[in-house]
Amino acid sequence: MSTEDPEDGWVPLDRDRVGTVLRRALNRLWPMVRRRHLFPELPSPRLESSPSRVAMEIREKQIILNLDYVAEMSRVLPVETVLTALLDHAVSHYTCCPWDLTTHLRLYSRAKEILGDVDLARRATDLFMDVVADTHAVKERQSPLPSLYRHAPRDTADELLCSLFENIWGVDLGAKDHREEVRRLSSIPYLDKRRWLASLSRFIRAIRPFLEGAQTEMAREQMRMGDHGFRQYRPEEIETALREFAKEVDSPQQFVEIFEDIQNDLQASGACDLEGMGFGKGCPVDANWLYYMKLAENYALPVKKIPMRGSGNLHPHSHRPWEIGQPVREVDPWSSFGKYLPGITQIWERRQGEIFGTKEKTPDCLIIIDSSGSMVDPRARLSHAVLGAGCAADAYLRNEAHVAVYNFSDALAGGKEHLPFTKSRALVYRVLCRYFGGGTALDLPEITSLVREIEADIFLITDMQITNLDQTIARLSALNNRVTAVHVGKKPGALRFIKAAKRTANISVFGVEQPADIPRIVLGSVRSYLADRKRKHQVTEEPVYWSWTKHPPKIG
Amino acid sequence: MINPFEDFKDFRSEARPLPLDRLVPAHDEAMAALTSGYTKLVEQEVKSLVWFVEHNRVIEAYTVACEVIRSLDYDGQNIEEFCYQLDSGASMPYLISGPAGIYISALCNHVAEDDLVLRLRHMQRQMHFLGYRLPHGKTLRIEGDTGNFTGAALNGGQLIVAGSSGDWIGAGMTEGKITIVKNCGRNTGEWMQGGEIWVGGRIHGLGRSVSGRIYQAGEPVVGRER
Repeated sequence: MSTEDPEDGWVPLDRDRVGTVLRRALNRLWPMVRRRHLFPELPSPRLESSPSRVAMEIREKQIILNLDYVAEMSRVLPVETVLTALLDHAVSHYTCCPWDLTTHLRLYSRAKEILGDVDLARRATDLFMDVVADTHAVKERQSPLPSLYRHAPRDTADELLCSLFENIWGVDLGAKDHREEVRRLSSIPYLDKRRWLASLSRFIRAIRPFLEGAQTEMAREQMRMGDHGFRQYRPEEIETALREFAKEVDSPQQFVEIFEDIQNDLQASGACDLEGMGFGKGCPVDANWLYYMKLAENYALPVKKIPMRGSGNLHPHSHRPWEIGQPVREVDPWSSFGKYLPGITQIWERRQGEIFGTKEKTPDCLIIIDSSGSMVDPRARLSHAVLGAGCAADAYLRNEAHVAVYNFSDALAGGKEHLPFTKSRALVYRVLCRYFGGGTALDLPEITSLVREIEADIFLITDMQITNLDQTIARLSALNNRVTAVHVGKKPGALRFIKAAKRTANISVFGVEQPADIPRIVLGSVRSYLADRKRKHQVTEEPVYWSWTKHPPKIG
Repeated sequence: MINPFEDFKDFRSEARPLPLDRLVPAHDEAMAALTSGYTKLVEQEVKSLVWFVEHNRVIEAYTVACEVIRSLDYDGQNIEEFCYQLDSGASMPYLISGPAGIYISALCNHVAEDDLVLRLRHMQRQMHFLGYRLPHGKTLRIEGDTGNFTGAALNGGQLIVAGSSGDWIGAGMTEGKITIVKNCGRNTGEWMQGGEIWVGGRIHGLGRSVSGRIYQAGEPVVGRER
């Protein structure tokens, strides 16, 4: 295989042998490319014949080069140059921009916010990532990408990129003049990762007329280097990215909007089953539940499951001086110098041992959530009540307990939805996200009947503007179940509830000034609640939280 | 024992110097200078808690703006970027719309380029006083909408707004031409001493002009007899 410069009479490869030759060349070049890029953890790339005009695609981190494109380019460039440049481009996407799906989502989200159109936003994000990745490869890895860009056929997008590259790389790529755009694009700090979002905004402002003008043409042609859809990521990356993204967005709507844009790509990327939520083909995910699910995953609540208890057996623990009258069978001759003398002879102090007791079951939990008109609509804005309830539900579900949900507004008038005890996280979130928006009244007999016969905790989250609040307090305090009540704001009802709860042993009330405090208070309070109970009863090992009853035993 | 870093022993990271390395710091430097100049102006203007649009006040603010930008090195692209920075509030002390517009006008009037295009279509808010005192020989094209007092005291330059404008367009202008592609608000041409205002769409209300011509959709509405 020749590596001569094409200008000096380089002979094109035989078409029949091209596949074999290219694969051999790829196998030879890949270790060198990996080495230059400091050994990224990527599977070996492969060559595939494709009718598409794009140079490559990335599927689950594997670079798949278009054999036909490489063969075509090898007519005008040495094969080594073509393959190395393409690999540099692809690897730079992995090692530099976007780096991971979280960054990709951030960039796409910003582009969508500015452009408002899915295709334009994708195109703009792809172009930006190409510029960053290629500039990184050329600057840091001495990539032969300029040679490829100089000889590769170009569409409108490539023309603009080449014009920009000429200016910022200082090479001649024979590009058409896009002076106005290039002037604006050239001073963007592409290699400063911390400024990527601001840079993307500037990038879009500069290329927007071009993008909108060339939309039809660009829609007709795929990008030469291949588009950077979201299907290149692995399921684990998708999980992490959605969790991060849920934390970063301003509202559930923003999450829903972006997720719906990329849902098809994520589905195509492989199995990503969200607890039977049907995150597969044909069963679209309700992005609202997914938002609260992913957000709640950022607030993991540990639950102690295996309690320690006294074994009943006594075992030697420490020494103390022997006194006359004490049993001599406890004397430790090894520490007593072989003498029976009070004050010198040592006897064993025995203590009761501690063992892992019977594996205690985490109790089930009934989550009662208020979705009346005074509460936030979880689909419109971030509902801290739903998030808090979701965190609590997750804590129980993680410990193999069942969770039931009672979502109410004016329950007596039929404004309620009840989910029986289940382990399905998806179902729990579906009911938690239901919003009635009416009055506020609890159907107390129904709630009592739900937990009367079983050992289940009750988690109530509301603003306490409940019509039948007094009856609610009376009914809850009469139960044997532990009740954790969270109220939003300092409404008169909340104060009444707090006063009443002080007289009961089974209700713990947590108040918040701002709804934004709910997730923190709920999660933190459960822990402090544990600690408080422990301090109160001076219990160090007994799992008070889980064996807690209306009349806790006095220990110690 | 195998050294896991053996493969890197002869690795030399040699970053290739690119023109980008020079372009980005130059741009950042220019932006920092523009921000610093604006901060000085704001410090001057913020002494009184409320900024009123009074004739003397505007002149004073413009004089201070010209003073602070005298030694700055910038171009049209920097001005546009500065407008977006003001709009987003990023790295800005605070936006007082009057002085901000006057500052931008001062920048436009003193930039080296004679033909200037500001693509402000995607700004969240509108700037007032754009094109203030635009001198002879300068053409300023603004893509997007502008606020009040656009082209006020225009001084012979050509101002084109590819969008709509607010009230008091061309107030006190002496000469030059203002073209508003879409609509404009009330008091258009108030105290106008000369020059022309062309409005492609609708003029919401005319001001008391002294002289000059105002056209609405090609038809003269002020200065017909001339």
